[in-house]
Amino acid sequence: MTSDLDNRGGRAERVAYRPYYRDLVIGMVAYGVLLAAAILFGDLEGDSPWRFAWALLPVLPLAFVLVSVVRLLPRLDEYQRQLQLQALAVGFGAAILAALTTGFLAFAGLQGWWSSWVVFAVGMAGWAVGSVAARVR
Amino acid sequence: MRNVLRALREEQGWTQGRYADLLGVSRQTVNALETGRYDPSLPLAFRLAALHGRPIEELFFPDED
Repeated sequence: MTSDLDNRGGRAERVAYRPYYRDLVIGMVAYGVLLAAAILFGDLEGDSPWRFAWALLPVLPLAFVLVSVVRLLPRLDEYQRQLQLQALAVGFGAAILAALTTGFLAFAGLQGWWSSWVVFAVGMAGWAVGSVAARVR
Repeated sequence: MRNVLRALREEQGWTQGRYADLLGVSRQTVNALETGRYDPSLPLAFRLAALHGRPIEELFFPDED
C-alpha cells in the first residue's frame, strides 16, 4: 500500500508547526535562563519589593509560548485544528476542576504553596491526555 | 460518510504525504479522511473534487444506516 511508504507529515503541516517549534525552543530556553536568574539574584525570600518582579520574570517566556500556541491554531488544517481545540478544551476543563478542588480544600484549611502548581500540572496533563485521546478516538 | 478517497489516491499512485501536499493538509488529516474518521468541510470537499476531476457526490456517500 502506498501510504505505508511515506510516513512524513504533509508540507502544510511542517509549514504550520515550524514557527511554533521555534517559539517553543526560544520560550523554554528563556524560561530556564530567567528562572535561574530569579532564583540566583531575585532574593525571593528577602523583603525587597523587587522580589515580586523577579518572581514574575519567568512567566513572560511562558506567555510568549502561549501566544505561539494561539497563533498556531489558524495555521493548522481543519482536522488538526479540531483535534487541538478538543485537547485544549480537556486541558482547560481539567485546570478549572483542579482550581475548584484546591479552592474548596482551602476552605477546609488544606492549602499550601503547591495549590497553584496542582492547577498548572493538571491543566497541562489534561491537554496532553486530551491530545492523545483526540487522535486515537 | 463513506468515501472512495483511498481508492482514487492509490489509482493515481500517490502516497498519503503526496496527497496531503496536493490538498494543503497534513498526512494525519488524509488518513482520517480515508478511514472515515473525519468528514471534510465543504471547501475541502470541493478541493478533493477538483483534484480528482469528479463531482463531490462521486467521492462521498451517506452511511446506509
